[in-house]
Amino acid sequence: MFARALTGTLAAAMLAVAAQAQEKVEFFAVPDGARPHDVSPAPDGKVWYTAQRQGALGILDPATGEVEQVPLGEGSAPHGVITGPDGKAWITDGGQNAIVSFDPDSREVAVYPLPEDTGYTNLNTAAFAGDGTLWFTGQNGIYGRLDPDSGDMQVFDAPEGRGPYGITATPAGEIYYASLAGSYVGHVDSDTGAATVIEPPTPNQGARRVWSDSQGNIWVSEWNSGQVSRYTPDSSAWQVWRLPGDDPQVYAVYVDDQDIVWLSDFGANALVRFDPKTETFTSFEGSAPGANVRQILGRPGEVWAPESGTDRLMLIRTAGE
Amino acid sequence: MLAGLCGAAGLLAAGMLAAADVEQGEVVFQKCYACHSVVPGETGLTGPNLFGVVGRAVASAPDFEYSAALERLPAQGYRVWTEAALDAYLRSPEDVAPGTAMTFVGLPDPDARADVIAYLAAARDGRAEE
Repeated sequence: MFARALTGTLAAAMLAVAAQAQEKVEFFAVPDGARPHDVSPAPDGKVWYTAQRQGALGILDPATGEVEQVPLGEGSAPHGVITGPDGKAWITDGGQNAIVSFDPDSREVAVYPLPEDTGYTNLNTAAFAGDGTLWFTGQNGIYGRLDPDSGDMQVFDAPEGRGPYGITATPAGEIYYASLAGSYVGHVDSDTGAATVIEPPTPNQGARRVWSDSQGNIWVSEWNSGQVSRYTPDSSAWQVWRLPGDDPQVYAVYVDDQDIVWLSDFGANALVRFDPKTETFTSFEGSAPGANVRQILGRPGEVWAPESGTDRLMLIRTAGE
Repeated sequence: MLAGLCGAAGLLAAGMLAAADVEQGEVVFQKCYACHSVVPGETGLTGPNLFGVVGRAVASAPDFEYSAALERLPAQGYRVWTEAALDAYLRSPEDVAPGTAMTFVGLPDPDARADVIAYLAAARDGRAEE
């Protein structure tokens, strides 16, 4: 189950630096064909990304532009990566149908296969609940939980079948996920594992990813409708905004430490900043056509967006907001 | 039926489709299931409906907005989803259609490709259930 990580290194060049508004935009190259899907800032200042097409966890040092990739196992095709409270990278690996962790100190790769009777689940994304449990989604119609200490895992059938995609934890540790095919937001009871369906106001909107702001409100990127929406759990109220442009397709959502909402729009080939206070959008163009940013994550002063279509990571420095 | 498909395939090893396992193809299709349906008329997923895809014109499913990468395929010689075209595409979608919105990395195992193509053909002919 455990394998020593084999690593290689690659010096990668910083491609371009451009200034736009008060934010500073930079791009970092990763190996050709890596097709970085998700990204997560690491505890040591580096940045992890999933090299989906190369079955590896990528590690970028933004200070030098150097990249190394850690193979995750036979048949690996990692989708999501997050940074755990234990300082490890936690990866949803669709290729291995397993949760995979990487310890940056010991460089140990640990593989936690889903139960055999679960079948292929198309693992998508993970989030840590307040009690330290890892919750994850599988697009074929499941969600589940893993106790990182014991390795115990449970898998649940999702309401309405296929669709579970992005997942998030609120500051209070509550778990919500988005169902892309089901066009709903699921709220998971961490004790029982049961999911409650919450219907956004727009039918068939294609809820793709979710993220919590500092108040526990749930922001939803709507792939089909081209909207971003906000669900307030305390009042069950929704508010909806359509992104600018003729044909927005909103893939990813992330809310930074200043409660600024970041979105990726395939229709405009752009990363989009949304200020809920002023209800204004600001657009940051991808580094090339077809940038295809499928996820966004950051840390104070930095917003990271992997361009899966160009093999580059986009960094927006936001310090001073 | 499957022997006939093999004759048109070209890229598949002789006899591979004839020996393909439709039931195993349904298992392989679970890697496609999240985004694709083989149920006639079922739309609204992130990928196009694949009922009848074997022999269908490329990028032609109604009510589906294809990526530019797929829209370009006919001009590059991929006009119809023949078994050979499906085999090449399923082996490595990114190599056939660089920039495709589909993130699936591909099926390196030729038997798995033959099985899933047989399953898609069977679904079209009413010989498979999703």
